[in-house]
Amino acid sequence: MNDTWQRDVPVFNVPIWTRPFKVLCGLAGLGLILVAYREVVGLGPASGMNDAYAWGIWKTFNTMVLTGLGSGAFAIGIAAWLFRRNQLHVVMRTALLTSFLAYVFGLAMLGVDVGRPWNFYWIVAPWRWNLHSPLLEVAVCMSIYATIPLFVENIPPALEYIYQQWPKLRPIVKQVEKCFVKAFPWIVSLAYVLPAMHQSSLGALMLLGGNRVSPLWQTPFLPLLYVWAAAFLGFAFVSATLLFCGVMWKRPLDVDILGEMSRINAWLIGTWLVFRIADLSIRGQIVAAFRPNVDAVLFWAEMALMAAAFWFQRNPAVRRSPRKMFYGALLATVGGILYRFDPTTTAFQPKANAIYFPSVIEILISVGFMSLGILIFIFLAKILAILPAPNKLWHEMESRRVNPRLKPLTASPRVEGYVAGD
Amino acid sequence: MEITRRDLLQKITTGGAVIAVGGAVSAATLTGIAHAEEAKLSPQAVGMLYDATRCIGCQTCVVACTKANDLTPDIRRDQLHQGPGDLNSYTKTIIKLYKSTDGKEFSYVKQQCMHCIDPACAAACMFGGLKKDAKTGAVTWNGSLCVGCRYCEIACPFNVPKFGWEGFNPKIVKCEFCKERLAKGEQPACTEVCPKKAVIFGPREELMKEAKLRIAANPGKYFENRVYGEREAGGTQVLYLSHVAFDKLGLPQPGDESVPHKYLKWQKRLYSYLVLPAGLYAVLVGSIRKNWKGHEEHMEEEEKATGLRPQL
Ligand code: SF4
Ligand code: SF4
Ligand code: SF4
Repeated sequence: MNDTWQRDVPVFNVPIWTRPFKVLCGLAGLGLILVAYREVVGLGPASGMNDAYAWGIWKTFNTMVLTGLGSGAFAIGIAAWLFRRNQLHVVMRTALLTSFLAYVFGLAMLGVDVGRPWNFYWIVAPWRWNLHSPLLEVAVCMSIYATIPLFVENIPPALEYIYQQWPKLRPIVKQVEKCFVKAFPWIVSLAYVLPAMHQSSLGALMLLGGNRVSPLWQTPFLPLLYVWAAAFLGFAFVSATLLFCGVMWKRPLDVDILGEMSRINAWLIGTWLVFRIADLSIRGQIVAAFRPNVDAVLFWAEMALMAAAFWFQRNPAVRRSPRKMFYGALLATVGGILYRFDPTTTAFQPKANAIYFPSVIEILISVGFMSLGILIFIFLAKILAILPAPNKLWHEMESRRVNPRLKPLTASPRVEGYVAGD
Repeated sequence: MEITRRDLLQKITTGGAVIAVGGAVSAATLTGIAHAEEAKLSPQAVGMLYDATRCIGCQTCVVACTKANDLTPDIRRDQLHQGPGDLNSYTKTIIKLYKSTDGKEFSYVKQQCMHCIDPACAAACMFGGLKKDAKTGAVTWNGSLCVGCRYCEIACPFNVPKFGWEGFNPKIVKCEFCKERLAKGEQPACTEVCPKKAVIFGPREELMKEAKLRIAANPGKYFENRVYGEREAGGTQVLYLSHVAFDKLGLPQPGDESVPHKYLKWQKRLYSYLVLPAGLYAVLVGSIRKNWKGHEEHMEEEEKATGLRPQL
């Protein structure tokens, strides 16, 4: 039993300053330099946006899509706390950190994207709020969500680090932790109300596009479909992250928990598919899927990916193979990304003949911010207890702290539970 | 998995939570209905009537608009003439020419903000950077409330607001119904200078009557014998008459219902007075606090069994 995930343990046996890490630093640095350029010359010269397509990938991808991937803390948290899937608690830290980074950089991209950011200070003046604006909803909820619940929920791993590193501070840490325990239910609840609000409002954003958004996507139920998509995207992305990190850093995987995540994900995708098709049929727009145009092609691509993800993950055999689960999570992620991206860009036709394609600078800035998020995740996963592992890995880490020259306990901590050949 | 008594209790609480949320939704919906009514126009609402059959394409209005609004003439095409290709951050109004391929049918068309009765741009705007004047109904821009998000450009069904893409202090540019001139009791620059009275100014109601009189006096002259802007996107304060089909002139067909009303009414209901989010929060706190106790006990057991500090 002790090869399964029991607690979170830092990735202690791998150096931080590796080549991929340097590449990520380079990309992030380039992105930040280009942000400075964008601030000076304005949006026109730096991006492919224009008066017809006034929103580019910074908003439509980095903010509207990537925060969907960052909904793991929301979706898995609800499953763990509300529906008492207790075994999922062990993956919460991974979910919380990925979510926090996705949100922080989603908001940062929003800041780079807007033309008059200095007027953002009105966000602290509720009497100025236009509560009917979905974008206001998004901006207010996201900022509160990222700075209060998500931030606070990410503090415990840092406290734990302090506890270990500086024995003198232990009494203080214990004191702080006590306060945390008291406040947690209140904060955790906030962490589910807020994303439910802004993830649905992200869907509401394109409602105002009216009939200029293809009927395959435009529906009054866009907000509901968006939150639902956020839920399965969150599960899928955290699964994929766990599997990827496990393989990359040769950590034991817990097939039971990953299987449970896959199973919930299949269920979420299944209901989403039913709802999506029911909505199309009731609005009588299913015919639009058979017109020979790009929209229809993308619609079917999206449908095929989602159906495959559903079919794949609901198969119990798949849920015992880490490799296959990774493919399942990947299918769901790509399909979900497509669904959330299309209505903002390809399926949005503001004007005849208008086109938009992101400029190189735009893409590099977008990639830069993503790299920054990934490299912070890698760095923190190696220092703090973020990724789950068996208890024995924790003991190994402790003994190596006492005697750094100790040989690793296991030649490779990749243990049973990981089916060989998979 | 066996079901313990606590599990059962938890299930019941979760079920209760779902019912409570359902109740909150219906309550919020009821309070919201009064809220999500369609917008109404004030009796003093101003209007503009453009009759394409009278316009000679002289562009006097374009020049007057540029002057009255202190805009830089857009001479980017040949560095000589003011010749914008479309509305843009230099141009609040433009005259375009439509010509059929055989050259027999042609018409000019003036474009500027339609001053919608229920403007989508203002519904989209976060802090009220774009706002509809309660009295005149003019939709105007306030630079100190605009964050430059360009949601107005996405939302406007007539593709009107334009953004300054160059430089670090970009503005949203759109016809604001010459708000300073209106405040002084003058009429807009474009209607004042029009030599053919193709575009005229007046209260919207009067102009609507005038337009209908023209249609009645010349049956068959005007496209579909109707006024564009009477119902488009819930009605606009700028009205059009034309002998050519409206869509040929590039006038969009956004449907009769205002977009904010059609699509945001549920949004408005769900968020009215924040009843629903607050109710949801209360329910969540209740049930998570219950589950939290069990979690704590579990953590303590773990700590005893393994000797490792529990992880939050
Ligand atoms: S035409 Fe566009 S910019 Fe003008 S009031 Fe209507 S929505 Fe706003
Ligand atoms: S760009 Fe400015 S005026 Fe337009 S919606 Fe955004 S904040 Fe409002
Ligand atoms: S009302 Fe004023 S701003 Fe609008 S088009 Fe006429 S002159 Fe230009």
